[in-house]
This record gives sequence, C-alpha cells and structure tokens, in this order.
Amino acid sequence: MACGTPHDMFSANPLWHNGPIPGGFYNFPGSKTAPLYSGAQRFHTPVTTGTSVLAIKCDGGVVIAADILGSYGSLARFRDLHRVHKINENTVLGVSGDYADFQHLQQIIEQKVISEQCLDDGFALKPRSLLCWLTRHLYYRRSRYDPLWTNFIVGGIQDGQPFLGTVDKLGTAYEDDHIATGYGAYIALPVMRDELAKAKQSGQPISKEDACKVLERCMTVLFFRDARSFPKYEMITLTEEGYEHHGTKTVKANWEIAHMVKGY
Amino acid sequence: MSSVVDPFNKFSYMESGSQRQHFSPYADNGGSVVAIAGEDYAIIAADTRLSSGFSIYTREQSKLFQLSEKTILGCSGCWCDTLTLTRVLDARMQMYYHEHQKLMETPAVAQMLSTMLYYKRFFPYYVSNILAGLDGEGKGCVYSYDPIGHCEKSYFRAGGSAGALLQPLLDNQIGFHNMEKVTVAPVPVEKALAILKDGFISAAERDIYTGDSILIKIITKDGIKDESFQLRKD
Amino acid sequence: MFLTRSEYDRGVNTFSPEGRLFQVEYAIEAIKLGSTAIGICTSEGVVLAVEKRITSPLMEPTTIEKIVEVDKHIGCAVSGLMADSRTMLDRARVECQNHWFVYNERMAVESVAQAVSNLAIQFGDSDDDGGAMSRPFGVAILFAGCDEKGPQLFHMDPSGTFVQFEAKAIGSGSEGAQQSLQEMYHKSMTLKEALTTALTILKQVMEEKLSSTNVEVMTMTPEKMFHMFSREEVEEILGTLAPISKEDSLAGGVSTAREGVSA
Repeated sequence: MACGTPHDMFSANPLWHNGPIPGGFYNFPGSKTAPLYSGAQRFHTPVTTGTSVLAIKCDGGVVIAADILGSYGSLARFRDLHRVHKINENTVLGVSGDYADFQHLQQIIEQKVISEQCLDDGFALKPRSLLCWLTRHLYYRRSRYDPLWTNFIVGGIQDGQPFLGTVDKLGTAYEDDHIATGYGAYIALPVMRDELAKAKQSGQPISKEDACKVLERCMTVLFFRDARSFPKYEMITLTEEGYEHHGTKTVKANWEIAHMVKGY
Repeated sequence: MSSVVDPFNKFSYMESGSQRQHFSPYADNGGSVVAIAGEDYAIIAADTRLSSGFSIYTREQSKLFQLSEKTILGCSGCWCDTLTLTRVLDARMQMYYHEHQKLMETPAVAQMLSTMLYYKRFFPYYVSNILAGLDGEGKGCVYSYDPIGHCEKSYFRAGGSAGALLQPLLDNQIGFHNMEKVTVAPVPVEKALAILKDGFISAAERDIYTGDSILIKIITKDGIKDESFQLRKD
Repeated sequence: MFLTRSEYDRGVNTFSPEGRLFQVEYAIEAIKLGSTAIGICTSEGVVLAVEKRITSPLMEPTTIEKIVEVDKHIGCAVSGLMADSRTMLDRARVECQNHWFVYNERMAVESVAQAVSNLAIQFGDSDDDGGAMSRPFGVAILFAGCDEKGPQLFHMDPSGTFVQFEAKAIGSGSEGAQQSLQEMYHKSMTLKEALTTALTILKQVMEEKLSSTNVEVMTMTPEKMFHMFSREEVEEILGTLAPISKEDSLAGGVSTAREGVSA
C-alpha cells in the first residue's frame, strides 16, 4: 500500500495483496491509509496521546478508569498524566487522544464551570449538557477540517440517575451503560459487556465494588496487550455518596513464569 | 494499484507505516431503516446497532426521530451528521410552528429536508434519510432521500447499510412488482409489520452493520405506537 | 401641543413624551390621501375593489395597478405611496415563493402579512441596518387570500400592525366607506352581493363618476383563486348597480388629494 493511489471514499477498496510490500506493514482491506503525497496538510495529527479510558454504570453511579501515561508516539513520555478529571460535584470527564487538544477544551470547560459557580443560583453544568456541548464543539471543528483529536467519556449523575456518554473527534456521540475508548473498545469492552450481562441476568444492578473489580481486570488485560498502556492507572467513582478518587493503582503483573516460556 | 509511483522518493515503500494519521470528516456508522405506508398508517423501523468498522459502539441507539405527532425521520450513515441534522430539523420545526401557528405537515417536512440537505451540497450530511408519516388527508406516506437532497415519494422504502438487502423483499412482498395473477392491494398493518420483521431478521444475517434489535414506530391518526423486536447480537 | 409635536416629529425612532411616534402617525395620514380601496370577505371568497384616479385624460388608465397578484392564492390592494408599495409587494412575493420552495405548500395569508409587517417596521435612521428604509412606508395594504383556513382579508398600515377584517376600506374615502360597510355587511353575504356592495360603496365615495376604466376589481375564491376582472366583467356588474342620487354621494371628503404622488 506504500505506493497506492490516494484512497478515497468514492473508489473501491484496493485488493489485499496477502501481505505487506517490503518494508511496509500489514494493511487489511477496508482500513484507511494516508496518501503518500497529500497536498497541504490542513489538520494536525496527535502528538502527546493518552490511550484507552474505560467506564461503566453501576448501582447509583459510574466508575471510570484510565492509565496515567502520556505517549509521544512510541515513547512513554509523561508518566503522571491525569486523564480523568472532576468537572464538578456531579460530572467527571475522561479523555483519550491528543492531550494538548484536551487541555484546550479543559480551559474552556473550567471557565464555564467557574461562570456557573459565580451565578450562585444552585445550578451546575450537568453531564448531559457537557456531552452535548462537547459534541457541538467537536463537530464544529471537524466541519472546519481542523479536528480536536480527542475522544471523551462523560460520566456523572443527572436527575438522580447515573449518566454515561461519549463523543469522538468527529462529534459521534452516544450513551450506554458501558463505554471504552481506544484499544479498550476492542479488548476491554467485551469483558465489560459480559460482566454487565451477568449482572443483568441476576436482576440486580452491578455494585460499585464489583464494577471497580471489573475495571481492574480490564485495565490489567489492557496493560498486557496495549503497547501504549501503562501499569499505573487512576480509578474514580461518582455515586450518590459523591466523588471518590481511589488513588493511583498499579497493575499486578506476574512475570515469574516468563522464563519458562520457550519456543521463540 | 501500483500505477502511481511517487517521483520524489525512489524508496517510497520505506515511508509506509508513517506516523501521520489520516483524517476523514465522515464515518460510516451503519444502520438500516425501513418504512412502509398504508392507507391510514405509516410504519417506520430502524435497527439499534451503532457501529464503526468491526466494533459495535452501542447496541441500543435509536435512529428514529419524531419530528411531530404525524412525522418520523429515520437516519443511518454518518452518526455525527445525523445528530447535527436532526437537531437543526427540530429547531426548524419549532420555528415553523411559531412563525405560522400550525404544525408542519409531512409533505412540508419532506420538502424542507430536501432543501436543507441540498444547501450542504458541497459538504453533505452523509446520512441516508427516510421520512414516514401521515399527510394532510391522513394517508400514509414515505419519502426517501440521497445525502444531497434528492427526494422521492413512495409507499415503501428500505435504506441504510442493508438497504440493498431489504428493498427487493419489499418490492416483491409489498409492491408486488413483476408478479402475475396477484391482486395488488394495499397491505394491512399486520402484514406490513410481519414483512418488516422478517426483512430485518434476514438482513442481520448478512449485514454486520445491522443487528441487535429494531425499534418500530406505527403512526396512525390515534397517535404513535412503539414496538421493539430483538435481532441477533453477533 | 403643536410645539411639542414639532420637537418630536423628526426622528422616526423617537417617542414623544405622550408616547407617540409622530412619523408613523404622519405615514398613516398619508394613506388618507390615497385612492379608496375596499375589501370584503365572505364565506365564498374575498372581493377587492379599488378606485383609480385618472388625473389626466391623456393618462393610460391600465398602467395604474393597485391590485396585484402576490401568489396564486393571495392578492393585494394598496393605497398610499405607490412607489413604496412596490417594495412591500416584492417582499410578499419573495416570501411566498420562498415558502413554496422550502415547504412545497402555499404560505398562509396571515404569515404573508406577518412577513411584510417585518419589513414595514424596519425603518430607522441608523446606517447599520443596511438597506432598511429611513422612514415608515406610506402605504396601507389589503391582503385577500385563500388558505387552509378559507378566504381571509387582512389589513396592514404603515406601523406594521396587521389585523384580520370581514370588510375594510382604506384610502381617502375610507371613513365614509367603512361606515357604509358596517351597515351593509352581514356574515351570510354571497360573493356576488359582496361585489355589488363594494362597488356601490366605491361609487358613493368616489369624486369621479365610476366607470369600467377607473376601477379595478378582483375576487379571490377557492375555486378560481386570484381573478382580476376584465373591462367587460366590470361593466356587467356596473350595469346592475342602482343609480345613486347626488345626496347619497359621500365624495368630496378630501378635496386636495395629492394626485401627483399618491394617486
């Protein structure tokens, strides 16, 4: 695919040549590749990035987790980068993708929260409103061909009900009981869906503790498989009892049997 | 495939795997919509799977948008465009109501949607729209669109990722196309529902972007009735 | 009183201490110099009848157009400054066509009146409004139309106020004509009755002798929509009118009509 015609949405997918050309990587059919010689590049590309964020709704709230690594391409550049943020008493925001883009939005959001507090009318930014605002903003930027290369998860409590929603760099937004971004969507989401299905069968909503355990397991699996992940991660719960930061946790990896693995 | 050789770089293959990421403002989030209109009813149904590539974003996303008591829009395609389009539509419905002191009727919505889509002719909403409802006389009607505003009125239509799978079934079972010795008669609501469900079951077998469940809305003069129906979830 | 008025009648957007906008009131006065127009709404349709002032025997009467078609389902009669009316009617036509383009349906009569009213109040002295008028429009309009709600008649004055009427007269003879309309109108009126009523009243209030050249007549019915009467059709109705004695004539209310400008 290295010397392919520019691939656009009007032409059919190229045939798969059963492998990469010398020096190239695998490109599966349907996957997009950048044209070699594109004209002026109007959009920027992510620089310092964060990988997956995971979140699930539990009994009376939400649990959200993300590791604390800021990658610089393949370099593990920043090792204490917080990607889950408290917005106000009923909203948390998790981010994956370009961290600079996130910080730009964070400034705007913080100002919005301060402005709301100054009014002192007892109203605060609700999670659904924040998600909607983010959706409009990201859609606006993608329409300008200047996207903010981010993927957000908004969690919180609205009208006494747990809320969980996400939006990506295009402005694709949806709500669900369980959401994962990045590699988590491939690796952790099936695990989370499984666990929630089990809980649903029992007729009981999953408890906060159980939800935390599920996410711990998912973070472990992600650390094993996602090359851009990190063993240290944050876990935050937001329930009727309030916001709770469970501290920075570390994936318990056991490499003792590694020396017994043979055949490579 | 290798017809274009980059003249500036003899070793262009070495560039492969570059870190530069491609940006496309569009995504294909799949989804299928079917609408059938009868003498005094209109049915519109859409699956609830929202996906991208090989991953399912969510299994319970409604793609039906109620615009008035008599009009419902079904959308599939690029979800971010759907979200935006339906928001603008809602606002336009509200503005019309306040400007003209009356509810917008389905044919008017149909025409407005067409002009709205065409106004974005050179940066289109990548959405396949199907509008179903009752017209001024209470008759069922279905309007279908392409992403840049071509509008066609019909009595049954399938659209979205499994549109090509579903439409022939409707042509045969509801339109009685190219059939001999059949009495062409309007389809009663029960039969329309049965055909619709069978269609979705079949589509979910072959189209990975259609599945999980379907939401059905039945529009009659007495109001809108909701129904849901489970599909395969793999 | 006169002093106060002269202080506050220059700026079009300045209220007088009594809370009046004199320029708007003056504009309404300007209508009273215009030719008389009568509109009657019945269940069968709407009738518009307008006097044409033939100020010179050398004038070509057919070039005076006081009743115009806005859309198939809406006709308008105007009185006042004809040049101003062109702008207003042009807006009405554009709004109708735009509505048809976007919604593929006929625009409601009330909505058209609303749209024209929006234009009528866009006067002011500031420059930032762009092409807005610097003074109020000097026209009154009768909208006769048929929509989902059936035949309707609307009246709009230079202040942009629009009100629905069963029967309404505007222009120089409007006071007498409105009085006569009140006496003669009844809800069960047929279109034919409305036609003779409108022309009888017009005959009473006009200075000149009513003839097929100095009157314009239009009907708006659900069947035929906008229908402008030909010379022959007008003559036919005129023939049925009872001759009126000189005492019944209400003409001469405004003897100094500014014919050159407002006609």
